[in-house]
Amino acid sequence: MITIAVAGNPNSGKSTLVNAIAGTRLHVGNWPGVTVEKKEAIFEYDGKKIMLVDLPGTYSLSPYTQEEIIARDYLVHETPDVIINVVDSTNLERNLYLTVQLLELGIPVVIALNIYDEAKKKGHRIDIKSMEEALGVKVVTTVATERTGLNHLLTAVLKVAGNSSRYYSKQLDYGEDLESVARVMERKIKQNYNFLAEKYPLRWLTFKLLEGDTHILEKINGDRNGLCFDEVVQHLRKTYGDDIESIMANVRYAKAAETTHRVLSKPEIRKIELTEKIDAVILNRFLGVPIFLALMWFVFKFTFDVSTPFVDWIDAVISGPLKRWAMVILGMIHAPAWTTSLVTDGVIAGVGFVIMFVPVIFTIMFFITFLEGSGYMARAAFVMDRAMRAIGLHGKSFIPMVLGFGCNVPAICATRILENQKDKVLTALLIPLMSCGARLPIYVLFVGTFFSENSGTVLWSLYVMGIVLAIVMGIVFKRTIFKGEPSVFIMELPPYRMPSFKNLMIYTWERGKHFLVKAGTYILLVSIMVWLLLNLPWGVEHKKDSYLGKTGQVIARVFKPLGFGSWEVASSLITGVIAKEIVVGTMGEIYIEKKMVETTEQKTLLHDLKECGISFTIAVKDSVTNVFSTFWMKSISIGGDKKLTPLRTVIQETFTPLSAYAFLSFVLLYMPCIVASIAMRNEFGTWKWVGVSFVYQIALGWIVAFAIYQGGKLLGIGIG
Amino acid sequence: MNLSMLKPGETGKIRDIEVRGSLKRRLMDMGVLIGEEVRVLKKAPLGDPIEVTIKNYNLSLRKKEAKVILVTTAAL
Repeated sequence: MITIAVAGNPNSGKSTLVNAIAGTRLHVGNWPGVTVEKKEAIFEYDGKKIMLVDLPGTYSLSPYTQEEIIARDYLVHETPDVIINVVDSTNLERNLYLTVQLLELGIPVVIALNIYDEAKKKGHRIDIKSMEEALGVKVVTTVATERTGLNHLLTAVLKVAGNSSRYYSKQLDYGEDLESVARVMERKIKQNYNFLAEKYPLRWLTFKLLEGDTHILEKINGDRNGLCFDEVVQHLRKTYGDDIESIMANVRYAKAAETTHRVLSKPEIRKIELTEKIDAVILNRFLGVPIFLALMWFVFKFTFDVSTPFVDWIDAVISGPLKRWAMVILGMIHAPAWTTSLVTDGVIAGVGFVIMFVPVIFTIMFFITFLEGSGYMARAAFVMDRAMRAIGLHGKSFIPMVLGFGCNVPAICATRILENQKDKVLTALLIPLMSCGARLPIYVLFVGTFFSENSGTVLWSLYVMGIVLAIVMGIVFKRTIFKGEPSVFIMELPPYRMPSFKNLMIYTWERGKHFLVKAGTYILLVSIMVWLLLNLPWGVEHKKDSYLGKTGQVIARVFKPLGFGSWEVASSLITGVIAKEIVVGTMGEIYIEKKMVETTEQKTLLHDLKECGISFTIAVKDSVTNVFSTFWMKSISIGGDKKLTPLRTVIQETFTPLSAYAFLSFVLLYMPCIVASIAMRNEFGTWKWVGVSFVYQIALGWIVAFAIYQGGKLLGIGIG
Repeated sequence: MNLSMLKPGETGKIRDIEVRGSLKRRLMDMGVLIGEEVRVLKKAPLGDPIEVTIKNYNLSLRKKEAKVILVTTAAL
């Protein structure tokens, strides 16, 4: 098998090229232990089996960003057979800076001179032959968005891999001063650090040791004495008058510039480019922020309005026909009652829960991919950075935060647009404070019961509370957990480009699938656990005696000072971990005791299928209408819903307006739901941040509810 | 004079980078090198960060980072 690694700058069209080559064979995952996306594909070309690994987009191979570390670790440890270096033809010099570094590795390189059409349109002429001469590697022009040049590229790669190409890799001449130093050091390395020389490409190793690369220095315990290091450094300082790192960067960039001048000819007069024209509006002093907010509003609205009818439809199908037919089938095989209950209330409900996220996740992934691919994401960060920095966040954090109001789960998935681990984690930790749609049913029930006169204001106050606490916690985290972590904002603003539809779809599909497969397993497990808690010991008459009820009784004491210390409330809060809207369902089940008996009408399978079909058409219709309707959240209808009337009566007896408000603020804050937690686990590859989130949110929720309840009592508000 | 002092439309030549370690390395990797020409394009709507052109591409950075990049302008 031939292993090909694809390396290149961000925005060089690398993803598009990889997608165009691998198509649906592409598998999206994460690099072990980190949040950086890993894409790979195995396929056959010209009778040869190929493994394609897409490295993270990087500008350099220095060990400073996560992406760079991953890319270089992969290259030096796994030594692929060939590197495809994707180079943006419109931005040669900076792209070739990475090429120069790749050549130090001694691994055969093939350059894909991508976005070649755009360079031609600009009047840039690139002399391919002399570029091959200068760099000593094969150069193939490609336009990944139109799938041109791909066969040439793969043929060239196979030729290089099969050693039948004139070009594969070349040692560039860094000038006599540096080269003589390198020769001395290479000899010394072989003498004194042969174990390293066996493991790494020698030339690369030499320059890394020279630069003082921390990762390599660790391997020799920081001891460079065996390298005549001091003399070497002094010699170079004298010649160049600068520190080694700067010398290396300058030498490499000089190589890139030299090559660019040699191969590129472009018109003297530069046209004003489309990107500049668009930016004049989009980044305008007065229009920049409003345009950004309008766009966010559109994405938010589109995502949730378009997907909600489908979510409801899936919910209806699963809890209706699917459950019914599972019961019928289980009845036919005379399954015991507990099996039926486990399958329908545990497994099917659990699976249903996962599937219900499908429309939202896919829509949001689509938008994220589009915003990233088009170049707008970088602008969004540029516009919002000043505001977000105040709470220790990055400009790009705004997007996941806004999405959090719809659903925390895709919001947490969206943190992958951030580059820096600290920014990702901090954003993900604050997202659960954004009041998601699932909390709305609880708010609606309580606000409608207790605050029907100023329901709007009370509801609004809960959303604002979340935002204010996110700002506070952002500042707290910035000064505690993330203290001293540097926050830099050095970001390319790439030219606007239209992402290809096919590419968008592939990427959306892969990202969505990745989430569902991973999350599905955990969610199923947790739903079964909750089912067990609620139904064991088997045959409990009264929910109070179930394990859930018993647990509720124990932890109810904790909620006493908050004004809602009953086991019923405590138990519903436990089940609310799955998803916050379940709190209402559990309350209904516990308080009203006799289960809301589902009318088991006798329906034929055909009838059910027909009904599913009809309701699906309605969902499509609703979804389309929603796109055009202009209301913010048209679904809030406080007071309606007659089904809840008996529950309202009970709640009115149990809560005072004050304790109700304390309860609502607790529900808002107390912890991320299980799906959000799993999304967090997926993104960060560790349960650590989920743990932090649980602890701080429970503490915050408790303190806030306590302050509200006790403070209100002191002031004598809302007790009656 | 440093990069954060230039107004949109003004061009400067980089004289020095007054910082060490990873920030300097990152800046250099992005093409911010001594002797390089840099032109300020615009400020973000909220005044910070700024957008500059360097090595034929557009780069944005915060004023905090622009402050360590010392420049000389043609006028001086």
